[in-house]
Amino acid sequence: MIRFLVLVLFTGSAAAQEVTVDPPEDGSVSRAEGLAAWERVHDVVSHPRCANCHVGADNIPMWSGPSYGETRPHGMFISGGESRIGAEFLPCSACHVTLDAGQSRTDGPHRPPQVALDWRLAPVDFQWFGRSSAEICAQMADPDRTGGRDWVALAEHLRDDAGHGGFVKWGFDPGGGRAPAPYGLQAHIDDVLTWGAAGTPCETGG
Amino acid sequence: MRLTVNGTEHELDVEPDMPLLWVLRDELGVTGVKYGCGIAQCGACTVHLDGMAMRACQVPAAAAEGAEVLTIEGLGGGDALHAVQRAWIDEQVAQCGYCQAGQILQAAWLLETSPAPSDEEIDRVMSGNLCRCGTYPRIRAAIHAAAAALREG
Repeated sequence: MIRFLVLVLFTGSAAAQEVTVDPPEDGSVSRAEGLAAWERVHDVVSHPRCANCHVGADNIPMWSGPSYGETRPHGMFISGGESRIGAEFLPCSACHVTLDAGQSRTDGPHRPPQVALDWRLAPVDFQWFGRSSAEICAQMADPDRTGGRDWVALAEHLRDDAGHGGFVKWGFDPGGGRAPAPYGLQAHIDDVLTWGAAGTPCETGG
Repeated sequence: MRLTVNGTEHELDVEPDMPLLWVLRDELGVTGVKYGCGIAQCGACTVHLDGMAMRACQVPAAAAEGAEVLTIEGLGGGDALHAVQRAWIDEQVAQCGYCQAGQILQAAWLLETSPAPSDEEIDRVMSGNLCRCGTYPRIRAAIHAAAAALREG
């Protein structure tokens, strides 16, 4: 077993949380266990804290939350543009201020979230919003559509993003009265690894 | 913290999480920048931070350490009007005027990055700056006029 360890300092809190990537042996997990883990992964990636910025080629981020009713396009006629950082129009960071590592975020309902990376949409190949579980599963199982990452590298990506104070960590601790993505970061990493060790099974036979 | 505002350097002793908007208005007396909502929903507090149009209410003082800030007071260099300000007067954009400093700074940034913006581009960039008086058609006209003036030099 390979074991990685990272110390994640949660911004605005003295609390520290260890996040580990501890992959099971490839093939050591049953398909049924893998599919069950995928269902939990899908619960996370389809959650508004994640999917709202994993949008398609229209480059329009989404808003949702207790006071919004139906999920709706980001207010203010915002477009992330093909740059996915708003460079063609209004950069995301005009409102979503980029913090230095360890810097306390400004928090509160309806405030633009802040992380220690430049706010952005995920690459369009990573569209999750509006996609089915099977479609997202096929995408995440295909290194050509994950920036070359296999299942272990996906888990490492989650760990490393959290270590940089990025979007993944924020999704599980969004503040501002927003519902966090379910299960927690460590459980999500473990589920990705369980799904991967089972051969990245998808409901459509992947 | 160190901060340069409209070309003048300042040394300030403020809490690191104090919003830049507070630093400007309450610590330095630079009151052209306006408080509107405090949550980046209206754009009234727009300033240029190291050349980038930003909502000053969202920038913690610590994130502005060493930065150069431009507000409406410094936009034309102090003595002259910027082309956007001139166009604003020519088009008689303002009604109550409260949001206009933010509108003008956002528009000036737009023209620095896109010298001949389309209507869609203007709407995309300017829609984060709200105007309760509904001056949007005149804002769009003034941006086109300022763009033309800047192109003609």
